[in-house]
Amino acid sequence: MKKKKFPLTRVILAAVIAFFYLPIVYTVVFSFNSSRSLTHFSGFSLRWYEKMFSSSTTMNAIWMTFVVAILATILSTIIGTITVIGLSKCSRPLRSAVGMINDLPIMNPDIVTAIGLLMFFATMEISKGFVTLLLAHVAFCTPYVMLSITPRLRTLDPNLADAALDLGANPWQALWHAIIPQLMPGIVSGALIAFTMSFDDFVISYFVTGNGVQNISILVYTMSKRINPSINAISTLVIVIITAVLILFNLIPMIRDRAMARRKKEETA
Amino acid sequence: MKHRWLSAILGGTLLLSLLAGCGGPGTEFDGTNKSSGNSDTLKIYNWGEYTGEDLIDNFEEEYDCHVIMEYFDSNEMMYTKISAGDSYDVLIPSDYMIERLMKENYLQPLDKEIITNIDLLADDCRGLDYDPENTYSIPYFWGSVGIVYNKNTVSRDDLEREGWNILTDTKYAGRLYLYDSERDSFMMALKALGYSMNTDNEDEINAAYEWLCNVNDTMQPVYVTDEIIDNMINGIKDIGIVYSGDAAYILSENPDMGYYCPDQGTNIWSDAMVIPKNASNPELANLFINYVLTYDASMDNTETVGYTSSNADVMADAYGEGGIYEGNEAYIPRSGCEKDEVFRDNEVLRKKLSELWIKVKAK
Amino acid sequence: MKQFRSMAYPYVAWISVLIVIPMLLIIAYAFTVEGTAFFQGQFTLANFARFFSDAVFIQVLLRSLRVAILTTIVCLLLGYPAAYAIARAGKRSTFLILVITLPTWINMLVRTYAWVGILQDDGLLNHLLGLFGIGPLQMMYTDFAVVLGMVYNFLPFMILEIHTSLSKMDPSFLEAASDLGANRTQAFLRVTLPMSVPGIVSGITLVFLPAVSSFFIPKLLGGGQYVLIGNVIESQFLTSGNWSFGSALSLIMAIIIMLSMFLTRRLDRNRGIDV
Repeated sequence: MKKKKFPLTRVILAAVIAFFYLPIVYTVVFSFNSSRSLTHFSGFSLRWYEKMFSSSTTMNAIWMTFVVAILATILSTIIGTITVIGLSKCSRPLRSAVGMINDLPIMNPDIVTAIGLLMFFATMEISKGFVTLLLAHVAFCTPYVMLSITPRLRTLDPNLADAALDLGANPWQALWHAIIPQLMPGIVSGALIAFTMSFDDFVISYFVTGNGVQNISILVYTMSKRINPSINAISTLVIVIITAVLILFNLIPMIRDRAMARRKKEETA
Repeated sequence: MKHRWLSAILGGTLLLSLLAGCGGPGTEFDGTNKSSGNSDTLKIYNWGEYTGEDLIDNFEEEYDCHVIMEYFDSNEMMYTKISAGDSYDVLIPSDYMIERLMKENYLQPLDKEIITNIDLLADDCRGLDYDPENTYSIPYFWGSVGIVYNKNTVSRDDLEREGWNILTDTKYAGRLYLYDSERDSFMMALKALGYSMNTDNEDEINAAYEWLCNVNDTMQPVYVTDEIIDNMINGIKDIGIVYSGDAAYILSENPDMGYYCPDQGTNIWSDAMVIPKNASNPELANLFINYVLTYDASMDNTETVGYTSSNADVMADAYGEGGIYEGNEAYIPRSGCEKDEVFRDNEVLRKKLSELWIKVKAK
Repeated sequence: MKQFRSMAYPYVAWISVLIVIPMLLIIAYAFTVEGTAFFQGQFTLANFARFFSDAVFIQVLLRSLRVAILTTIVCLLLGYPAAYAIARAGKRSTFLILVITLPTWINMLVRTYAWVGILQDDGLLNHLLGLFGIGPLQMMYTDFAVVLGMVYNFLPFMILEIHTSLSKMDPSFLEAASDLGANRTQAFLRVTLPMSVPGIVSGITLVFLPAVSSFFIPKLLGGGQYVLIGNVIESQFLTSGNWSFGSALSLIMAIIIMLSMFLTRRLDRNRGIDV
C-alpha cells in the first residue's frame, strides 16, 4: 500500500496551491513598482506604500473592511448554524422554500441584490452607513454558511440529539455538546466563505453604504482609470495582517501546550 | 486540538470586534466629525483618484472643516445613488449627466457671490451647451476624445485622410483597441458618417450601428476600458480610442505614441462641480468650488491626475515650458473645430444606444 | 426535538425582509415600462418580449451557461483530488485549508489584474514559454483566459465544500471495505464518493451560481466583446440605466438556474439515500 509516496492527489494539491499563489506573488511584487502600471515592472520603489500610509481614507477603509468582515462572519455563522439545525426539524416545504430563497443572493448578479437593497433602504428611509452595510453583509453571507453546513447535517445521525437527551442532557447541552461539534467542519468552511464574501464584496457594499463608510473594494473599484499599484500595496498589507494573525493563533496554543507540558514535568519531578 | 484552535480564532475575532467597536484609526463610523472642534462637514462625491494630493488637506485647514469623500466609477452609478435620496454637498459628474440632473431638478444654482474665481476659467470650457451661463456647474477637468496611434506603424496620412474611418481600414485589422463605452463608440460612428453625435434620428443611429458592426466584423477589435492606458504605453496594439487626459499620460510615457483628433469632429467632454438641492452645507460647497478654481488647487489637481485643468493659467503653464505636459499634443483640447460637440442628455439616443451596443459586441 | 424548530423562525423573518422584499421589488421592475418607477403602475411584458425576440440575448445566455458549466467541471476535476489530499493530510489539513482560503481574501480585482499581467501578450507566462522556444501565445481575450480566471476565483469554494464532507469520513469505513475484499478503486467508488456527494452538490452550487452571473472576470480577461449575461445585466443597471430590462433579464436567468439546481438536488437526494 505504501509504495506510492506522492500519490496523484497530492501532486494536484501542490499544483493547485502553486496556481493560487502565483498571482499573489505577482501582486506583491508589483506593489513595489515605481511606475503606475499594474502589468509592467519598471523599477523598485516604496511610493505606493507611502501613498497608502499617508491616506487616512485608505487606512480607514482597510480598518472598516476587517471590522465589517469579522462582524459579518461571526453573525452570519451563528445565525446560519442555528437556522440550519432548526430547519432540519421543520417541514420539507419550508425547508425547500428557504433553500430556494437562499440561492437568490448567491445566484443573482450582485448588482441585482444591491439595487434591491438600495430600493429597500430608500423606501424605508433608513440612513445609510455602517449599520446598513453590516446588515447587507450578514444578509448575503448567511446563505453561504447554511449551504456549507447543510450537507454535514444531512449525514448526521438524526438520533444523535435524542441519544444525548436520553443520557440526561438538556436540549441546549445536547445541541452544544453533541450536534455542534459534529457540524464543526461545515461551520468552519462556512465561516471562511462568509469572510471571503464580505471581505471581497464591492457592488452590494457600494449601494448600501454612505456617509463616508467605505471598504477596500469600494476604493479599489472606483479607482477607475487612474488605477495604480497602491491597490497592490493595500493587498500586500492585508496579506501581512492576515498571515500575522494566523501565525499568532497557531502559536498561542502551541506555547500553551509547551508550558503545560513543562508544568506537568515539574509536578512529576 | 482542532477545537482549541478554533476557539482561539473565535475568541480572537470577538476581541477584535470589541476593539473595533471602540474605534480604530480615524473613528468615522457614522461620518460625524468627532475629531475637530468645528462641526462643518463637507461631503463630496467624486470619481476615484480624481483630486490633487494635498487639495483636501489644504482646504480642510484653510476653512477649518472636515471633508468626507466618496467615489463613483460611472455617471450612472452616481445617478443611482442620488436618485435613491443620498445627500452630498458637491458632485462632480460629466456634461450629459449634469444636464439630466438639471432637468430632473436635482441641482441648486451656484452662489456667484462666493464663487468669484469663475473669471479664472478657460474660455473654451466656460458656458458649455448644457449650462450656457454656468448657473449650476463649474468645470473641473475637461478634454476631448481622440485616437492614440503608434507613430512608427500608423501613417499620419492615413489618419488625416480617413479620420475615424481608419477603424474600418483593414490594413490595421487586429491592431486596435476600442473603448468599451456605448456613448464614445457611437460618437465615433456618428462622426465618421458626418452626423451629430446628439442625433435622435433613428436612421442615423442605425447607420452608426451598421458602421460599428462592420468594425466589429472586419477589424477584430478588442473592447477595453482602463487597461487601454497600460497597453498603449507598452505598445501592445497600434491604435486606441482614448480620452485626451489619458492620452497625455500615454504620450508622456511612450514617445512613440501620437494623438490625433479627426476633423470629422469629436466629443469635447467636461466633468464639472455641481451642488445638489438636498446638500446639507451649500455655503461650504460654494466655498469649495471657489477654492478648486484657484491656481494652486487647480495646479495640484492637474499635476496629480494628469487631466486638463479648467483654469486658463494652469492649463497654459502645464503645457508651457517646464510644465508637466510641456508640448504634449494631447493635453490642450483643440478649439475652433466646428464639428466638435458636447454630449447632451437625450433620452431617445440613450435608450437606443443601450439596446444596440450589446448587439454590436455580442455578435 | 421540536424545541429546535423555533430556531429557524427568526431567519425566515429575516430573509423575508432582507432578501424576499428586495427581490419582489426587482420582480416588480421586470414588469414595469422602461424608464418609469414601478409604483407608477405602468406594467408591461415588453421586457420579456425583448429578450425572447432577439437571438443575441439567448446566445449570450447560452454562452454564459457554457462558460459556467466548463468552469464547474474544471473546478470539480481539480477540486476533488485536492480536497481528498487535504482530508488525508491529518493534522496539517486545517493549515492547508487556510492556505487554500488565504488568496480569496485578496481583492478580486487585484488578483484578476495580476492574471492580466501574467497572460498578456508580453506577460510573464509568454516570457517563460519563450525560454522554451514556444510562443508568444495569444491568451488574453480568449475562452481560456476567462475560464482560467473563473476557476481561479471559484475553485477554493469547491475545495472547501468537498473537504467538509470528506473530512468527517471515518478511515475505518475504508478499512472495513478493504477487509471485505474491495480494492482501492472499489472502496473509493463504493464508499468515499457516495459519502461526498452532498459536498459536491454544495460545491457545484457555490461555483456554478456565481459563475453564471459573473461580470468582472469576463470583462477584464475576455475583453468587452466577451459578453456574458452578468455583463448585460450589470450594464443595464450601471450604464444604460434601464432597470426594467435588467430586472427582467435577472429574473429569466434566475428561473433557468433554479430549474437546473432543482435537477442537481434531485440527483443528490437519490444518491444520498443509498449511503
